[in-house]
Amino acid sequence: MNDVLVRLTVNGRAVERTVPARRSLADLLREDLRLTGTHVGCEHGVCGACTVLVDGRTARSCLLFAGQLDGAQITTVEGLTPADGPSALQAAFRECHALQCGFCTAGLLATAHELLAETAAPTREEIREAIAGNLCMCTGYVNIVRAIELAAGRMRRP
Amino acid sequence: MKPAPFEYVRARTLDEALAALDADSKILAGGQSLVPMLNMRLVRPARLVDINAVPGLEGVRARPDGGLDVGALTRHSDLLTAPLVKERAPLLAAAAAHVGHRAIRNRGTVGGSLAHADPAAELPAALLALDATAVIAAPGGRRRVPLVGFFVGLLTTALAPDEILVGVEIPDARRAAWGFREIARRAGDFAIAGVAAVVRGDDGRCTDARLVAIGAGDRPLRLGAAEAALVGAELSSALPARAAATTGEDCRPPDDVHASAEYRTHLVSVLTEQVVREALGRLAP
Amino acid sequence: MTWVGAPVPRKEDVRLTTGRGLYLDDVARPGALHAAMLRSPHAHARIVALETAEAARLPGVHAVLTGADAVAASRPIRPLIPTPVPLPDWCLAVDRVRFAGEPVAAVAAVDRATAEDALERIRVEYEPLPAVVDPEAALAPGSPLLYPELGTNVLWHDILAYGDVAGAFARADGVLRERFEIQRYASTPLETFGAIAEYDTGLDAYTFWTNDQRPGLTLAILAESLAVPQSQLRLITPDIGGAFGNKRRPAYLLVCALLARRSGCPVKYLEDRLENLGALMHACNGVMDVELAYRTDGTVLALRVRDVADEGKNLVSPMQHNLIKLGNIVNGYRIGAVSYEAYSVLTTKCPSGANRGIGKPFMCFAVERAMALLARRLQLDPAELRLRNYVRADEMPYTTPPGAQYDSGDYPATLRRALERFDYRGARETQARARAEGRLLGIGIATSVEPAGTNLASYELITGRRAASGSAEAAMVRVEPDGGVRAALGDPASGQGYETVVAQIVADELGLTPADVHVERGFDSSTTPWLYLSGNYSNKFSVTDVGAVLGAARAVRDKLLRIAAHRLEVAVEDLELADAEARVRGAPGRGLPIRELARTAYADVLGLPPGEPPGLEARHAHQNPLAKPVGAGRTVRSQLVFSNAAHCCLVEVDRRTGQVRLLKHVVVHDCGRELNPLIVEGMVHGSTVHGIGAALLEEFRYDATGQLLTATFMDYLKPTALDVPDIEVDRLEHPSPFTPLGAKGVGEGGSIPAPAAVANAVEDALAAHGVTVRSLPITPERVWRWLGAPKEAR
Repeated sequence: MNDVLVRLTVNGRAVERTVPARRSLADLLREDLRLTGTHVGCEHGVCGACTVLVDGRTARSCLLFAGQLDGAQITTVEGLTPADGPSALQAAFRECHALQCGFCTAGLLATAHELLAETAAPTREEIREAIAGNLCMCTGYVNIVRAIELAAGRMRRP
Repeated sequence: MKPAPFEYVRARTLDEALAALDADSKILAGGQSLVPMLNMRLVRPARLVDINAVPGLEGVRARPDGGLDVGALTRHSDLLTAPLVKERAPLLAAAAAHVGHRAIRNRGTVGGSLAHADPAAELPAALLALDATAVIAAPGGRRRVPLVGFFVGLLTTALAPDEILVGVEIPDARRAAWGFREIARRAGDFAIAGVAAVVRGDDGRCTDARLVAIGAGDRPLRLGAAEAALVGAELSSALPARAAATTGEDCRPPDDVHASAEYRTHLVSVLTEQVVREALGRLAP
Repeated sequence: MTWVGAPVPRKEDVRLTTGRGLYLDDVARPGALHAAMLRSPHAHARIVALETAEAARLPGVHAVLTGADAVAASRPIRPLIPTPVPLPDWCLAVDRVRFAGEPVAAVAAVDRATAEDALERIRVEYEPLPAVVDPEAALAPGSPLLYPELGTNVLWHDILAYGDVAGAFARADGVLRERFEIQRYASTPLETFGAIAEYDTGLDAYTFWTNDQRPGLTLAILAESLAVPQSQLRLITPDIGGAFGNKRRPAYLLVCALLARRSGCPVKYLEDRLENLGALMHACNGVMDVELAYRTDGTVLALRVRDVADEGKNLVSPMQHNLIKLGNIVNGYRIGAVSYEAYSVLTTKCPSGANRGIGKPFMCFAVERAMALLARRLQLDPAELRLRNYVRADEMPYTTPPGAQYDSGDYPATLRRALERFDYRGARETQARARAEGRLLGIGIATSVEPAGTNLASYELITGRRAASGSAEAAMVRVEPDGGVRAALGDPASGQGYETVVAQIVADELGLTPADVHVERGFDSSTTPWLYLSGNYSNKFSVTDVGAVLGAARAVRDKLLRIAAHRLEVAVEDLELADAEARVRGAPGRGLPIRELARTAYADVLGLPPGEPPGLEARHAHQNPLAKPVGAGRTVRSQLVFSNAAHCCLVEVDRRTGQVRLLKHVVVHDCGRELNPLIVEGMVHGSTVHGIGAALLEEFRYDATGQLLTATFMDYLKPTALDVPDIEVDRLEHPSPFTPLGAKGVGEGGSIPAPAAVANAVEDALAAHGVTVRSLPITPERVWRWLGAPKEAR
């Protein structure tokens, strides 16, 4: 059992911490950095609530150890939130009522961000496939699909 | 659900990684199978050896013989986008598309999937169908183990505790046809049953067939009887059903909370028919 | 501008979409320790020995708690519905464990990982006892008993009969008999349940942070078990990540409280997902034998039901499922005679609880399936059969034999609209064409009533006495000294958007916009008005909470007008509140901003009307006037206001693999006046997907020794975005004549009829194969077996 020194970038800020080897990225974000926007729903990689971007790609932060991410760039929901107001996705989620309890939303935003970065005009089927790894217990997904579609359209016409 | 304590070692070279391994260590690559087990304390290694920083273990490279070298640290999502895979082993991409969801595929590795050897996993079966060979780094040097001899039992491979899988070599499959189907309760779940097929034909006959079933035993299972029904047979629309009718002879699937052995056996037969039909359809006339 | 009824985007989304919500695990109390619980591996066992010394010595461990400690330091947990004989229920197992996963000991340590390390050092010696996992076996003589002192596993057995049941059966042209089963499942909110407890030694007072959804009830239990007056308790709920009836386990709050006392530090506990799935709450599984007495024209004369509900090890709130089913048993039909035999049975499994729908999904499954079977038997179209039996709009309000009063609604119109939106005729044609091609398409219809508000007096049917009764809630509205407005509600939201809807209601009353009304997040017993009956349960927001909010808002409105009338020297009747001011109707420019009225009320108090006290705050508690005590013949309004819905779905079944694909799902619902159509539609989507999950995917399966086989999200399967289609929603609106705004409940919604709709569709697809769907979930393997386990590959 050892402590690990890790230096990484979180939402553009350099972070240096010494953490127990078994500290997950999710717990580093939430406990050590007080970035509580990322949530933990299962700790076995299924529910997707903890999804963040690691070096630009989605990953389950509950299945990564903080100590293994030396040099990595992490983006959380806080980093996906522009300083001057909600992102297109965040605004669309609100407009379309794509959240009820909000617990899955941060993970979904990371997933949607990755989708739209690669596919500017996803079909509904592509959206459903992309978000199939994020469980939502409240919305039934209908409005989430609508919101991502709406945001995609707006992002194509800035 | 927090893991039992362990020592974390980040290997910077393959030699460092090999030196750090012992009987009570586990390799951390993608972690998508390992970390859930750590979190649930189903496994409690004293040491975790992180090989993600070891250079030279990722990527897909063309082999001079027309095949592919796939590094063990190649992520599933990279298999889906690599042009070489599309070109020389599209079966791998088809199989990888069924692995979990995007976030899992971004981290999970080919090597990890092979070493974990879950009989319900897609990549071991696809690579076995492609007649791949595992390249293993051991303290004494490298050795190669054809996948046919690599899976030795439930979640057990030919890897010794002090060895590391570094890649797979896939022979030339450019003139082979392929098929892949699986049935899962939900998209992205482990397969209840699946079949991966690589077939070759010449002059109106099937000249080679490798059919591997997922979820049909304690390891990826060669459907020998179905292969025998195909090899040498004249290519016809009756072949898929003929192959499918024999699969029960080789299947030894488990009974578990998701499906009974009887149902899985039936699914393998259904999927074999579909996959063989798909593969034969892809054979150049 | 009327805000109520408008699709106002939610206020809470501003923080929830940007990662700035505050959920329980986000709350960091200084110096807090983290707790973990050691849980029984056995379904039933005596605890022979328990040794915690080594665990206590582990560095980082601050306190350990056992059942014996709990007995010494607390009092038993009071049940919601008393059991026939008092059965002491402590926050940790004492002497005996009765389900695999029951907490046996708890540890508080510097972090969760260390606490879990400590659990491994606790030595427990168990003497296993026989498990009992089947409810019919549990009620049979000779069954292993969870509580030998009770002499039985049956907590409640009764037959309640209304009308001339025997006569109706005698008169009938035929009787349809069928047995239905339902599995255990749960809504599994994405955020798990937990609490933080702090103890102040100087005040002998506790503060709890928790995502508990029934604070009124929980505070009562905490006070009794900790032997402190409620005035020395404070309970705060932050943002809650979904509840659906699951977020209640007073025992866990007690464990945290006792650990906090022992350690001198705040103690936080959150279930991990395995604990949540295995040990928090499952909807009852069970068996229902249904007999329908009918005439050949399809009229249903009577219903006889024998219902066995498997409660697991539930002493806190058993018998609820039975009671709620009884209150809704005739669904939307004019059935004149009903006999309901209820069994509420203990087994050595996870405790049951008020999961979304509380028994009604099973009740609706049984009744709607029976109607589908009757339609087949009589060769009537299933829609036509229902239309012949519905209570009609001109019969409203209609009282059912057990005493439920259906307040309003046009059930035939709801179904007709659903059939139209679904294109029922077109779907039948598509089905016929598909059949000709050998494809198995099926159409399923299910309709249901959806009650809202529970009258606790109904528990008297079980216990013979009345302890709590009625349906009530409390709220507060306050204009602050700076003219801003704040409101609070005793019912903590968990995704239903109360902050927005309450703001809409208050805005309408005070002439403001919802953005002007700050609604407190969640519940704080120090400042939020509350009652024992306060909390989130039974769909009660629209039918009870609204009354409390209106009452408080109107009291503040009236005071504002009185102050304005006094200052402007006009009659109150000449004034209106609009655009944040009180102004004379038809005289623009003659008004006073609310800010100014607040200055009078709080600062310049000599300017108040004579006799008017300072301040602009009102607290109002409202009870739903429809609730009544149990009446003659054991009738009671157990629930109070009734929405209704019709679901139509189209499925395709793969005959080779048994896989079921949902192609289309249409819902037409009527929840009366929709307070916020955006939120209402979201509820319909989400609740319908809960029903689809129960129909096709979700099952908590136990083996014969009481081990849960589906213990993680890998094995307990929740619907993903690829498992459900776009749910198409349309609405009718028949306001309730009995609620303050005409609104009715919408939270349980599709969770009630969707399982029946899907089951009816699958059976319809398999009609030519003689298959009867009697149980859920409909897995591919089960379908394949119903088809005779065909072995052909094509």
